[in-house]
Amino acid sequence: MKEKIKQMLIDVVGDNNFTDHQIDMISYSYDASEHRHRPICGLRVETTQQISEILKIANKERIPVTPRGAGTGLSGMAVPIKGGIVLDLIRMNKIVEISIQDRLAIVQPGVVYAELENALSPHGFFFPPDPASGKVSTLGGNVATNAGGLKGAKYGTTRDYVLGLQVVVPDGRVMRTGSKAMKSVSGFDLTRLFVGSEGALGVVTEIILKINPRPPATSTALATFDRLDDAGRVVSQIMFTGIIPSALEILGRHTIQAINQNTDLNLPEVDAMILAETNGYTAEETDFQMEKVISVFQKNNPREIKLAKTEEEARGLWMARKSAYGVLARIKTHFVLEDVTVPMANISDLLKGIETIADKYHLQIATFGHAGDGNLHPQILYDGYDAEEVARVEAAISDLFHLAIDLDGTLTGEHGIGISKARYMPLEHDPVALQMMRTLKKTFDPNQILNPGKMAL
Amino acid sequence: MENKYDFEKKYRDQILKCSRCGFCQAVCPVYGSTLRPALNARGKMLLLKEVMDEKIELNDDLIESLFQCATCAACVKDCPSDVDVPEIIKQVRKDMVHIGSCHPAFKGMNEVLQKHTNIYAEDEVPDFERKRGQRAENVYFIGCVGSYREEETTDATLNLMDRLEVDYTLIEEVCCSGVLEDVGFEINKDLAERNVESILATGAKRVITGCPYCWRTFNAKPDYAVLEQRGVTVIHITQLLKEFDWEVKTEKRVTYHDSCDLGRHCGIYAEPRLTIGKIAPNFVEMPHNHDDALCCGAGGGVRGAYAKNSIAMARRRLKEVEETGAEVVLSDCNSCIHNLVNAKLRKQKFEIRTTAEFINMLMDEQLKDDSIS
Repeated sequence: MKEKIKQMLIDVVGDNNFTDHQIDMISYSYDASEHRHRPICGLRVETTQQISEILKIANKERIPVTPRGAGTGLSGMAVPIKGGIVLDLIRMNKIVEISIQDRLAIVQPGVVYAELENALSPHGFFFPPDPASGKVSTLGGNVATNAGGLKGAKYGTTRDYVLGLQVVVPDGRVMRTGSKAMKSVSGFDLTRLFVGSEGALGVVTEIILKINPRPPATSTALATFDRLDDAGRVVSQIMFTGIIPSALEILGRHTIQAINQNTDLNLPEVDAMILAETNGYTAEETDFQMEKVISVFQKNNPREIKLAKTEEEARGLWMARKSAYGVLARIKTHFVLEDVTVPMANISDLLKGIETIADKYHLQIATFGHAGDGNLHPQILYDGYDAEEVARVEAAISDLFHLAIDLDGTLTGEHGIGISKARYMPLEHDPVALQMMRTLKKTFDPNQILNPGKMAL
Repeated sequence: MENKYDFEKKYRDQILKCSRCGFCQAVCPVYGSTLRPALNARGKMLLLKEVMDEKIELNDDLIESLFQCATCAACVKDCPSDVDVPEIIKQVRKDMVHIGSCHPAFKGMNEVLQKHTNIYAEDEVPDFERKRGQRAENVYFIGCVGSYREEETTDATLNLMDRLEVDYTLIEEVCCSGVLEDVGFEINKDLAERNVESILATGAKRVITGCPYCWRTFNAKPDYAVLEQRGVTVIHITQLLKEFDWEVKTEKRVTYHDSCDLGRHCGIYAEPRLTIGKIAPNFVEMPHNHDDALCCGAGGGVRGAYAKNSIAMARRRLKEVEETGAEVVLSDCNSCIHNLVNAKLRKQKFEIRTTAEFINMLMDEQLKDDSIS
């Protein structure tokens, strides 16, 4: 970077908030995916005005800018693959307003999900889309990726809760989208366009979020199935009961085996395990819903059904599901965690297909995920230093994406396209749709400075 | 590929298993005070991965990250991949010292302990008005911070033990030197031998330490193994106090700071709470407690090498104390007490004391009240 430009950037953020130290460049070169690339510098920003001035400079000088939150993304969205500037938003971490009467919270992008949860809890409210990384991930990142979570089946994803945004567009102008009102059909819905746009259209600097009252009661049950088809039918049939569980999670055979090999949980080694949670305002309400779920379990040849009678028992039932990621992360030196999603009725076909792919490529693929919204997490475990195995992993991923699309599904339910899935975009989107996306990108960012190299744009 | 450094030989697989999930970012006190991802556990593991991949050199450029870890182990608890970051950091610091890359403060600490008997290079040893090296059932081992920086706390602890009629003696103690292992060097065998000899000479069958770090060193380091072989057990003062019942009580609202050394490293959570439960019915936990406690920022050499960030970490903890509305925060590590006291703001009116010191104070007050009435 030219000394003159460096000085201009320092003039915007101050000496202490500009860094090109090696240790910072390395930490900014990664996220939770397998991708990496170093930026030229990092800027720790604190105001919308600073971002506006930085983007004006970057746009004029054609310097790539990659916005970054907590760096917990799983598809390389925050990796500055074209170098340039990393825009570190973690210090924009103020909860601007919580308005219970208006049912909304206004936050800066660097607020960590868990901090908003802590702030809402005394009011009896919560922000439903709860990614597994919620203790660390920032709301700006959740917006950029349209993050989901365990409660997706009942409560949807981040997009369903974003009412409005403040955004700095790539030429440095600042705009507001949406409204504080609960509903608005005023003009094109730019807010929804920005949610999930992976930082490619603008830098979000303020977020207006709809919040929900937290139902205090839950019921939890777990059922095991010797045959995958039975578990698949359970997922479909629950929808016919007219109730929507607050969580409906599934664990496949390989995940169960891995948990048994690495913990003392002693789970039955079945084809599938389904964990259901219902929530509501009274125990009667949650029990009523759970009875419906259990009746579906009973009709589909369960090996065992466990209903939690106490909170402690409920925690025990959740243990297997919650330990899955950690257990799998320890087995080999590398893993890829995918998030293919299909219509709920196709869940068992997706699970079976994943097993076929694992056999075909001699790979260890353990699967778990959110059956309630058709979103599975096949976790492929491998040795990243074994070139031959890496090639098999890449082939398996390609097969997996073809499988998801063949089952009327999507490449990604909640992790985003980023770098990892960019080349598979034509598999899901027809040429016209792809062209429209690229045109949109050009409209917002004609010089391609903002998070370039992502999403096949 | 041949492993160039000992950290690779011992921990290569663990470092590779770091999945970069960033969960450590939620709990790392250095990150929490600086918001700089290069300084949290993930940032450190990434640097080591790049060293192993021969993309960067292990050299002075990495000191700011690798020597800035309080070894508090908060990251270990939440790591899905079970990476033992503090142990890796201790090993890589040794590798760096070996190649001549070391933070000057850490180098200085090692030099001091080659020439002096304590980490502060103090020549004059406070006598606490007690004879040393007597025959007794117990040795009370104060530790450097208690001897040279938190003398009042130590005075109070000794007075309390007198009141409890514990048969103890002080010894001509020198630094246990365990901390050198954390900052890239080896334990000072000469100092360890002097402590062992002084302890054995008293005929004591038990050592009571005022410092949880000394407790760890005596119980875990081979240089002190002879104590166990000679039938000497080593306990921390909290383990002694829990055996007693108290006639004093406080109405004040009290909270407790779990030191990393006593808590996450030694698993001692129940003992201090048992004691505090007997004297302070109005006890309240901070939001982060037990194995989730926030580090005060004093450990791992951070206080000496990165004082400003160390104080910032202590301030985060003090803010939690403030939010509980407590009038007293107790902790059973002199090092924590020292850092928290240094970081306390004028507006923060609560007292910061060890449990022993606080009980002794309550006894003093009771005595005064009795004499007035």
